[in-house]
Amino acid sequence: MSPALSKHDPSKKWSGPTRPYDLIKEAVIAIVIVGILAGGLAAVFSSPDEPALTLKSWALTDPADFVQTATSELAGTSGTAGYGAPYNTASDGQVLGPLKLQKWAGVRIPINTAKDFVVKPLTILPDAAVQTAVNAWNVGSADEQTKWATSYGDALAKSPKALSLPDTNNSYGPVPTMITYLLGMAINGALDGALTTSDTPLPTDFTKPMLFIADSGTYFPDYAAARHLHGDQWGVMNETGSWPGQSWLWLFSFFYQVEPFKSSENADTWVMGLLGVLSVALIFLPFIPFIRRIPYKIPVHRIIWRNWYRRKQD
Amino acid sequence: MKLLFIDLNHPAHYINMGVLSISLGNLIMILSVVALFVLALALPFPMHDDEESHK
Repeated sequence: MSPALSKHDPSKKWSGPTRPYDLIKEAVIAIVIVGILAGGLAAVFSSPDEPALTLKSWALTDPADFVQTATSELAGTSGTAGYGAPYNTASDGQVLGPLKLQKWAGVRIPINTAKDFVVKPLTILPDAAVQTAVNAWNVGSADEQTKWATSYGDALAKSPKALSLPDTNNSYGPVPTMITYLLGMAINGALDGALTTSDTPLPTDFTKPMLFIADSGTYFPDYAAARHLHGDQWGVMNETGSWPGQSWLWLFSFFYQVEPFKSSENADTWVMGLLGVLSVALIFLPFIPFIRRIPYKIPVHRIIWRNWYRRKQD
Repeated sequence: MKLLFIDLNHPAHYINMGVLSISLGNLIMILSVVALFVLALALPFPMHDDEESHK
């Protein structure tokens, strides 16, 4: 605080000029104008109407990608399976230097991708062949399960268009049968229902189908890229269609476009940390040398209160 | 209401300059906010009839 300001006694009654100011009137005018603008613009431009992505739409559009992803869920090699907290303990996840922030948050939404995305949904099917396959999977050891699913996943990777492959070497176990039935469930929409109601009686929790779709190798990433929604496309700021998006997140989004954040595996924590530091700096702006002198160099406040300064000068 | 409807359900136009990539919708919004800020600075406060007596 400058010496001149510190001489003022805040308890003394203001003896300078005053002006009438009707706060209620101003608030009413602001609400009415914003209400008319919001209602008018909504009537003219409507709102984004992007159809929801579902496991059904995925299985119908790109069944081969669905089959490969479902196999990776069984093998434990999908993005969700290796994500760490809050879903599992497979990795430390995002860290900030020595701070293992993601791990410390803990496993609050435990998800076993093989069990939750594949095995459990299949158990509701009234079909002897698939129940035999599920039983074979369940009685297999963890090593056997991994070997079956990994072998099948490797084979599918060599035949990227394939929806099913014959088990000529008898090395895939029950996996081909399970994946084929799961694809059938996805195509007729039953898998969406099974995953949204696995934890609640009403289909209100979309965590599992969203994570499953997010593990997609091509369908979901390509869909998002076509709409400029990836992090490296300033996607945080963008909206579907041609509507304006969250342009106020420009600074947050900016750091994802530049190094070292762009290629960092811990970009989220680094960017959040940096934004936290900048926010604290904003709070303490009046105490930061040089920065606090900016109003003297760029006196925008003198334009706002130009009448006052003009009278003062007179 | 149908006559008033302007369909924006189509791919956006993006302006790319180096590392910057911004949709036309976002650019219009940002320019509008800047214009509003400049107008708020330039336009005079509404004066009350009795304001002079309070100076």
